[in-house]
Amino acid sequence: MRLVMLVTTVATVLLTLWLISGRLFFGTGISLKQFLSPADTPSVLLTMIFGTAALLSASIYLSDTRGPVESEPSGFFDFVSLVVSRLAMIATCATVLVMFYEVVSRYVFVKPTLWANELSLWIAGFIFLFAGLYAMQQRSHIRIYIIYDMLPRRVQKLADVMSVLLIWVFAFLLIWGGYNEALDKFIRWETFGTAWDPPLPATIKPAILIVVVLVAIQALSNLIADWHKMPEHHSPLDDIDESEIEIIRQKLKD
Amino acid sequence: MDLGTLSLILLIALFVLLAMGMPLGFASAALACAVLVMKFGPDLLFRDFGRGPFAVIAQAIYRQLTNYVLISVPLFIFMAALLERSGIARDMYSSLNVWMSRTRGGIAIVTSIMAVIMAAMSGIIGGEVVLLGLIALPQMLRLGYNQNLAIGTICASGSLGTMIPPSIVLIFFGLVTETSIKALFTAAFLPGFMLASFFIIYIVIRTRLHPEQAPLPEPDPNDPTGPEKWALFCGFLTVLVMAVTTLLLVRALFLTVTGGNVLEEGADPLRFGMISDIPYLIGVLVAGALIVQFVIGRERVRKGWELGKGLVAPLIVIGVVLGSIYGGITGITEAAAMGVVAVFVISVARGEMSFDVVWTSLMRTMKATGTIIWVTVGATALAAAYTLAGGPTYVANLIVGAELPTMAVILVMMVIFLIMGMFMDWVGIVLLIMPVFMPIVRALPVEELGFLGGIDPAYVAIWFGVVFTMNMQVSFLSPPFGPAAFYLKSVAPAHISLTDIFKGFLPFIGIQLLALLVLLMWPSLVVAFL
Repeated sequence: MRLVMLVTTVATVLLTLWLISGRLFFGTGISLKQFLSPADTPSVLLTMIFGTAALLSASIYLSDTRGPVESEPSGFFDFVSLVVSRLAMIATCATVLVMFYEVVSRYVFVKPTLWANELSLWIAGFIFLFAGLYAMQQRSHIRIYIIYDMLPRRVQKLADVMSVLLIWVFAFLLIWGGYNEALDKFIRWETFGTAWDPPLPATIKPAILIVVVLVAIQALSNLIADWHKMPEHHSPLDDIDESEIEIIRQKLKD
Repeated sequence: MDLGTLSLILLIALFVLLAMGMPLGFASAALACAVLVMKFGPDLLFRDFGRGPFAVIAQAIYRQLTNYVLISVPLFIFMAALLERSGIARDMYSSLNVWMSRTRGGIAIVTSIMAVIMAAMSGIIGGEVVLLGLIALPQMLRLGYNQNLAIGTICASGSLGTMIPPSIVLIFFGLVTETSIKALFTAAFLPGFMLASFFIIYIVIRTRLHPEQAPLPEPDPNDPTGPEKWALFCGFLTVLVMAVTTLLLVRALFLTVTGGNVLEEGADPLRFGMISDIPYLIGVLVAGALIVQFVIGRERVRKGWELGKGLVAPLIVIGVVLGSIYGGITGITEAAAMGVVAVFVISVARGEMSFDVVWTSLMRTMKATGTIIWVTVGATALAAAYTLAGGPTYVANLIVGAELPTMAVILVMMVIFLIMGMFMDWVGIVLLIMPVFMPIVRALPVEELGFLGGIDPAYVAIWFGVVFTMNMQVSFLSPPFGPAAFYLKSVAPAHISLTDIFKGFLPFIGIQLLALLVLLMWPSLVVAFL
């Protein structure tokens, strides 16, 4: 996977450079606009295929190593959530770069881009969705434990089952109400209606439904994984991660 | 079903679901569905698959996810995570400490000032308390400071991050109530500083009355004396002013060369960016150079710079973030991205950056983003469903129609905020309670708000937002779950128990309540700079 990641990343970078230099020096006229309909231009299509492969392989490769702030995967669905979380992390860096590029080109070169604003919106939509799935896998969604901790383990299990059930009900009703609209927008490939015109509604609307279903599956996976856990006492101290503090402490010493 | 019953069932169901440990975001999302079922009846809802009132939920979520300002949330969290891992805070502490080491209670005052600077860099509180606890607490305890004073100072000042812009709490308040976030930031500045200065005044008075609570360190023979220190500090300031002037000069020259400052008819002149400003900028530079040469002396300036240079990095970060927002260069979101870049560049320059640092920071960012955004998603769904059912208007009419005294209504709200703040995260409060409270506040007679001086009706939402963040200040410290206490506990020496920590908070909670009272009595304080 490491090899695939490296090869595809290098290929993507080379192709992107090729496209940019082609635009700058030879006037090929290939801009980001073509990226929205890649089938028309082979070089753009190739770049996008390699780019997607690079992103996916990098996410899969990076999801193998666990950070100090993460809990070990235990459920059957954790793998998917972790890969998706890596995608979102790379995307966050991308957002920062896109915005930085926009600010520099607008303020220093007085040449605002047409695409930066929409591109960051588009990426961020996915970051938000994926981050929720990741937070579910890490069990870091905000819960209130005061009463929960007082219950006997049997009742706690019952409460957990109820919670997961309600998440499933929510996912089901969300799809019940939003299915037609999402499908519609996807089929019509509805765009944002701006200068660069990315298919924002066409992708994010269906993505909401899909990710909510994934979150529901992850909740079920968590329930199964945690079924035989001993009752634990929760305190806000659990949210603070010791390893991080240790690193800072080390740093302050030298 | 009539709205009264519906609201009551909703409230009870929310309590039950939260009590049984259901994640906040999903509890509210599930209740959004329940509200729609109660309002429209299963008949209408389930008649055909794929459409119907349930579509409201997906639409509300979509609207939230494509909100440009919301992108600033992960970016600010990312920036704070990167900041924590850099040594910027430690250097700032040593720089500040030099100037204050001979003052009674100096380290406590330095801690407060440092907290304000850190608050202006980012808007996340946990990291601030941890850093201050690691840097300042050992120093204070070693010198024999009163333990309660030390603890209270660190946690109370460390919570200022939500008051002083950029602040995530204010961003969310702005999103929920559709008020200008920039205006909220501007308005929160003065109350934030007021609270910080209350802390410092309290420290000064307390240490003057009880000198034994804040012993002075042994004088270091190499340490410069009082007047000498002032001279050094002036030298440092001169260098700083000269650096800023040089930057502005470069900018003005650049704009002149590129023609960026040629004004169109009726446009406002760019501040310090016009051709006519260049002579003044050069004048300031020359004056600075003369002062360095003849008044202070080069040797002293160099020494002052050595002592003070830890303050430069934080000032750059603040300049980039707040400067971009108030200099009219970018909006909030892009300013956050610029902040990330600035912190990254500074860390690289300090040789502290590695792939690992970025990657771990990203993990923490994703976790925090996921939790905050999905509470947003669920709460938006609930708010949308409840609004569709006519809930907020109903409640507002109910309260306003009851002819209660205006300030009594506000006071009751404050009490509700304070009590909720003890058990719940600010995100939940702002997203679940605000959609109900805000229409009430807007419907109250404006002229009856406050006791000293009135407030422009257009600014009521902003005033309420600032008052709300002041409430949240208290909630960070209030037992039994004040997060600041737990953050400090994780870095404090083992013999300091949670009870000790909360005991140390008491006077500071009192100060916060006093500040809250000032804001309630005197609303025009908030809108002073608007």
